[in-house]
Amino acid sequence: MLIQIVLLSAVAVLLAVFARSWNTTRTRAWKRIAFLTFCVLNAYAVLRPADTTRVAHLLGVGRGTDLVLYLLVVGVTLLALNTYLRFLAVERRLTELARDMALRNPHRPPSDRPLAAVEGERTS
Amino acid sequence: MGVPAAPQPTSTRKRALDDVWLVVPVYNEAAVVADVVTEALTAFPNIVCVDDGSRDGSAERIAATGAHLVRHPVNLGQGAALQTGLRYALSQPGAERFVTFDADGQHRVEDVVTMLAIAHSHRADVVLGSRFLAPGGNSQVPWRKRLVLRAAAAVSPTARRLRLSDAHNGLRLFNRIAASRLRITMNGMAHASEITAFLARSGLRVAEAPVSVRYTEYSRAKGQSLINGVNILFDLSLNQRKG
Repeated sequence: MLIQIVLLSAVAVLLAVFARSWNTTRTRAWKRIAFLTFCVLNAYAVLRPADTTRVAHLLGVGRGTDLVLYLLVVGVTLLALNTYLRFLAVERRLTELARDMALRNPHRPPSDRPLAAVEGERTS
Repeated sequence: MGVPAAPQPTSTRKRALDDVWLVVPVYNEAAVVADVVTEALTAFPNIVCVDDGSRDGSAERIAATGAHLVRHPVNLGQGAALQTGLRYALSQPGAERFVTFDADGQHRVEDVVTMLAIAHSHRADVVLGSRFLAPGGNSQVPWRKRLVLRAAAAVSPTARRLRLSDAHNGLRLFNRIAASRLRITMNGMAHASEITAFLARSGLRVAEAPVSVRYTEYSRAKGQSLINGVNILFDLSLNQRKG
């Protein structure tokens, strides 16, 4: 069926793009274009539901509702992946921040103090 | 738990260990951490504990010992704590050898001495502790854990390439070259696999040393659950795809 090829290749291509460069300027722009297109198509589908069925038939899907559902599944998957990668990036930045804070204020044992105090005065 | 008396080092031996830094990641170990650190300090003068956002007063216990302490303001995970501790130790004058050591009392100071000797005799950049090389090593690991650890070592391509018998031991020794090249990005427990992957492609000389692990009631209760292996595999597969 045509829809199977369309969906599977769409997922494969998008996954490959995400894995390689999920947050470059180019990918970000395409994500926004995709979102706007999605909104426009939503409005269109609400206004002319019969047309979704016509497109569905072209792709070998029984009903327009089913086609919308399939596309939604692909959309949700990508959304989940995008969110996951975004959290990962945030976590990396948080790690750098926390590590920097930790290394700025080390607690040294008393035997090391004199040296530490001198160093502290120099760096602060 | 009876902590065996640590060998009292002579002053000459103490001098010889001046370039060794123990890196101890700590997360909510207030009950044991002071004893563990104090015992280790009898042999190794340089210890840095990384308090990974503990909420049970671990940091206060460590501050009362003679160890250095750096504190993550929030909990990040053991991998992140190790990287922070290594970075701190690398910045200390005279630091040449770096040992990662668990805070829960499962590692033995004598094993670190063995590892230092093996690093010297094998001219190794890195020495990894292995529970399975020790005499009777198999019997000291609970069988379920043994199965998982063996499986992890067998399916991990990097552990196979390095011919490691135990890819997930917390006791590791790095020289300065290895420690400064290592970048742990996996904050959670997947760092163990990340480290072996790094070693496999680094070209560093890696050796294994027999170590024994004290599976006390305490460490058993704190230890990793086997289901966490799922999390580790997931984190790693994504990390590998990202290159």
